[in-house]
Amino acid sequence: MKPARGDTMADHYAETAYSNGYHFSQGSGYELPEYPFAAPPEIESGETSHHAIVIVGGGITGLTLACALAQYGVPAVLLDEDNTVGVKGASSRGICYTQKSLEIFERLGIYERIAAKGIQWSVGRTFAGNDEVYSFDLRQQSGYNLSSQPPFINIQQFYIEGYLVERIYELGHVQLRWRNRVTAFKQDGEGATLTVNTPAGDYHLRADHVIDATGSHSPFRKWLGASVTAKKGDDRWCIADVRFQKKPPVERHTWIEAPFNENRAVWQHLMGDNVWRIDYQMAPDADPAEVSREEVVRERLSRQFGADAGVEIVWVGPYAYRSECVDRMKHGRVFLMGDSAKVVSPFGARGGNTGIADADNLAWKLAAVIRGLASPQLLESYNEERHEAARQNVLVTNRTARFLRPATPVEKRFRDAALSLARQHLFARQFVNTGRMAVANPYSASSACHRTGGLSVQNVAFEWPDGSTGRVNDLLRWAEGRLLVLLFGDAAPASLERLRSLAETAPIRCVQVLGPEDHPGALEYVRDPKGHLQGACHVFGHAWALVRPDSYVAATGESVDANLVHAVGQALGAAIEEDA
Amino acid sequence: MKTTLNLQDADGFYEQLLDAHQGLSPDQSELLNARLILLLANQVGDAKVLKECVEAAKTLPP
Repeated sequence: MKPARGDTMADHYAETAYSNGYHFSQGSGYELPEYPFAAPPEIESGETSHHAIVIVGGGITGLTLACALAQYGVPAVLLDEDNTVGVKGASSRGICYTQKSLEIFERLGIYERIAAKGIQWSVGRTFAGNDEVYSFDLRQQSGYNLSSQPPFINIQQFYIEGYLVERIYELGHVQLRWRNRVTAFKQDGEGATLTVNTPAGDYHLRADHVIDATGSHSPFRKWLGASVTAKKGDDRWCIADVRFQKKPPVERHTWIEAPFNENRAVWQHLMGDNVWRIDYQMAPDADPAEVSREEVVRERLSRQFGADAGVEIVWVGPYAYRSECVDRMKHGRVFLMGDSAKVVSPFGARGGNTGIADADNLAWKLAAVIRGLASPQLLESYNEERHEAARQNVLVTNRTARFLRPATPVEKRFRDAALSLARQHLFARQFVNTGRMAVANPYSASSACHRTGGLSVQNVAFEWPDGSTGRVNDLLRWAEGRLLVLLFGDAAPASLERLRSLAETAPIRCVQVLGPEDHPGALEYVRDPKGHLQGACHVFGHAWALVRPDSYVAATGESVDANLVHAVGQALGAAIEEDA
Repeated sequence: MKTTLNLQDADGFYEQLLDAHQGLSPDQSELLNARLILLLANQVGDAKVLKECVEAAKTLPP
């Protein structure tokens, strides 16, 4: 059957987009690391090995999960079909990492390297035609300024992947198997069997849990019969990653109707090594080969930056935006994460960042179940929480896509109305949608979170008893994958006693958080003189917060009572008790 | 959503609305209407009321 013309175009774009690596038309380019292939022991022994956790796919999501498991000391095997990072990734790879992702990377021990290589930015400006419609500075927003990590860092995705690989080698526990391609999969009540192809031959693995982090072309979706809700538009874009002699400002600039791009949208962003990503919206259904031809790209760049900008083209990639979301992220013993689970347009950096959050969400749950600290029932909450996040991210990015590519004349008319009002009145700026930046998604329908919980906790500072500075991540590392009970304010001896005995039977660690004048009880304690820790935990006054290893509150409450005991059970997937 | 009269001067507003469109091309009229909807929506603010208004407007006569 011959596909309709639209399908052919879209497929062609998909192929172009996902077969391109980083190649360089000029300049020195990047030396991507190569990792050694070692013949898996199963090939010589001829036996099927058994592993608790097998991760398929070594992109940013799979590697984040592997690194988090390694940090918890939980063994796993990661299979990657390639022998490097970056090369076989999509052309439209991530460049922008949110505060929540950076906080996760801090916990995993690679944040300092990211901060050293990447570019911090907080100012964004949006233009329509020749006018600036509005600007923002995220550092001025209270939602961002308490964390030890900045609102955003821009850096090429493969750098983070490379740092994760090195960190995993350092931590041990997780085997990285390069050039191992999964070619077949089946699962039964006891586990899953994977057939793996390598340069040394084929072999089989049995796994209790399989994580599909293979990305948007996941073969698992078919193997699992996973249904997908998808949307494909006619919007076409072309990325140019470039260096300049005359450098633009370190800000995010977006144009709705750029005069230098035939009144279509343009994105301008900086990343590491002084490389700028300029992303141009093309005419609907534009020919990808034509729009990415070097002369055409150069002409476009000189219209924007002038003929004397000293442009060095690092990489060019045409692509089509699309959105896809699987209807479930857990199928039996298989967990889908990152782009395997959902694909969104890149507006607001909601792709890679949610993959990182998927990984961090599952890592502690798998670790807790395998170490016998939590019930296997807890794993269901991965789907509940991260599928809610996936749906939200698809919804938000689709709204942006619709603003940027009005589907009908009347949609265009409303955009004209919004843009003209935005120049005249403050309120209308909110209609101008060039992407809503990714956030730590809240969980409102999780069986593992009480209705008082489900919110992310920022990596804020507090004081250790000796007056030195500590951070939330220090407490989480100290808890080693257990739940953290933070008890704010002074407490009655009976409350402290109740917590102490709870800590003897449940996998929790307790810390009393005191104001400047409060007297410590018998528990471990820290001081929170500015109330930042309390604010980060979304509580006020005398209260407790049950903080999970992924730095989300599972529940909060006022007094140390049966509700706290119940919340601990709920956060570990234990059977729900009756409310006291 | 209010369905009983809330306007202080219904006839006056109606006249003002028609006058605003006088001398405009169909394209300009469409733009004016779109701008007016967004301005009025901001006056209403309440998400539930706005949703009900959109639903009510969608119930076109046969």
